[in-house]
Amino acid sequence: MPEFFKFDQIEYHMGAAGRTVKVSSDLEEGSILVIKGPSGAGKTTLLRILARLLECDKGQVFLQGQNWLSFTPQLWRSKINYLAQKPAVFNGTVLDNLKKPFALKIKKDMFNLDEAIDGLRELSLNENLIHQDARTLSGGETARITLLRPILFKPNILLLDEPFASLDDNSARSVMEFLKRWLENETGRGIVMVTHNDIYKDISGIKIQELELSEPGVN
Amino acid sequence: MDAGVIPISNTQLALSVILVLITGVISAALRLELLKPLLWGTVRTYLQLTLIGYALTYIFNINNLILIIVIISLMCLVASRTAVRGSPRAGRYSMLLGFFSLWTSTFLVGTIVMVLIISPEPWYSARIAIPIFGMILGNSMNGIALSLERLFSEVKSKISEIEALLSFGASPWESVRDCVKEALRAGMTPTINSLMVVGLVSLPGMMTGQILAGADPQQASRPLPVVVMLMIAAAVAIGCLMLVLLYYKKLFTKEDAIAHYV
Repeated sequence: MPEFFKFDQIEYHMGAAGRTVKVSSDLEEGSILVIKGPSGAGKTTLLRILARLLECDKGQVFLQGQNWLSFTPQLWRSKINYLAQKPAVFNGTVLDNLKKPFALKIKKDMFNLDEAIDGLRELSLNENLIHQDARTLSGGETARITLLRPILFKPNILLLDEPFASLDDNSARSVMEFLKRWLENETGRGIVMVTHNDIYKDISGIKIQELELSEPGVN
Repeated sequence: MDAGVIPISNTQLALSVILVLITGVISAALRLELLKPLLWGTVRTYLQLTLIGYALTYIFNINNLILIIVIISLMCLVASRTAVRGSPRAGRYSMLLGFFSLWTSTFLVGTIVMVLIISPEPWYSARIAIPIFGMILGNSMNGIALSLERLFSEVKSKISEIEALLSFGASPWESVRDCVKEALRAGMTPTINSLMVVGLVSLPGMMTGQILAGADPQQASRPLPVVVMLMIAAAVAIGCLMLVLLYYKKLFTKEDAIAHYV
C-alpha cells in the first residue's frame, strides 16, 4: 500500500535573496498536514508548488504512489486543489461562483445543486444566499463560499492557505468541523493547510500532522 | 493627370510648421513635455515623406516583384516594432510574433486584393501595391498594438481569477478566454467604428486623396474606397486574431502555469 500523499526533497528559492528551502513530508489519508513558520518562510510558495502553479528546483510529489509528472497539470490540479489566501470571486451570483469550475472541460456539467445547498447549510450560511451577487458578500461569507467551491469540486487533496484569516473564532471552529466531516465522509481525501490559527487543536478526533518551515535546510 | 493636383509651395509648407509650433508653445507653457516629440515627429515626417518620394519613383520604375516584397517586409518590420513597443514585458517574442502576424495578415489580404479585385497589369504593380499595402499595415499596426496592450492589462488585472481557474484544472485557453475576447474587441473597435461612420464623419484617406487631386466625388467614393475599407477591416481582424492566439500561450510556462513576467 503506497503512501497517500508524499513530497520528497522539494527544493526551492525564496525571493531575490535566493534562500533555499528544502522540505519533505507525507500525509496520511483522512488527515491534515498543518504547515507552520514565520512569514517569508515559504509556506504559500510550497502550496503553490504542490499545485504545480510554480516550479521548484528539485524534488518530486506522489499521490497514491503515482509521480506528479505522470499527470497532466490540469488533471493534477483537479486532484490537488489549491485555494489562495484571497480567493478569486467571479462576476455573478454565489451560484455562478460555485458552478464556475464545472464550466471547465475537466469536470464539465458535473455540478450538483443539492450538494451546494447542503454545503451552505453545513457552513451555517443561509441557502437564500445562493442567488445573491457574490461581490456583495461579507468577508466571512466570501471565505466560506470560496471554500465550498473546491469542496464541491471533490479533489483528493485540498491545499488551503490561511482559510481562517477572515473568520471569527466561532466561524473558524464550524469551518474546521466542516473540513473534518469532509475528510471522514469518503476515502482518498487529505488537507494541507497553512495557518497561524490553532483552532484545530480544539476539535477532538481530528488527525493532525505538523510541519515547521523555518531556517534553510532544517527540514 | 497633374492638372488637378493642388500645388504646395515651400512657403506654404513652412507656414504649416507654425501650427506645430503653436501646439509646442502651449505644451512648453503647461510643461506637458510634448515639445520634443512633436518637433522630432515634424522633422521625421518631412524627411521621411521627401525621401519616400524619391524612393517610390525609383521603385515604381523598376517594378520588380522581389523588390516589392522586400520593401513591404521592411515596412512590416518597422510597423511591428512600433506595435509592440507598448508591451515591453514580453521581450523579443512579442516583436517576432508581431512581425509574423502583421506580415501574414498583410500579405494574405493585400495579395487577394491585388490579384482578384484590383488586378492591375502586372498584378504586383508597385504603383498600386505599395500604397495599398501601406494602408493595410498602418491600420493593422494600430489594431495589434491595442490588442496586445489590452491582453496584458486584462491578464494582469484578472490574475487571481485566472489562477483560480487554473487550480481547478483549466487549460490556459479556458483560463484566459475572456481576456482574449477583450483584447480582440479592443483591437477591432477603431476599425469597426470607422466602418460605421465612414462618409458621415470622415472620408477614407484614399478618397480624400482622389478628391484633392480633382476627381469627381461620385466616382471617387465608389468602388475602390469601399474595397479599401473592407480590406483594412479584414486585415486588422486577421492580424489581431493571429497575434492574440499566438501570444496568449507565451503568458504561460510549459507547466501551464502563469509565467513569472506577467
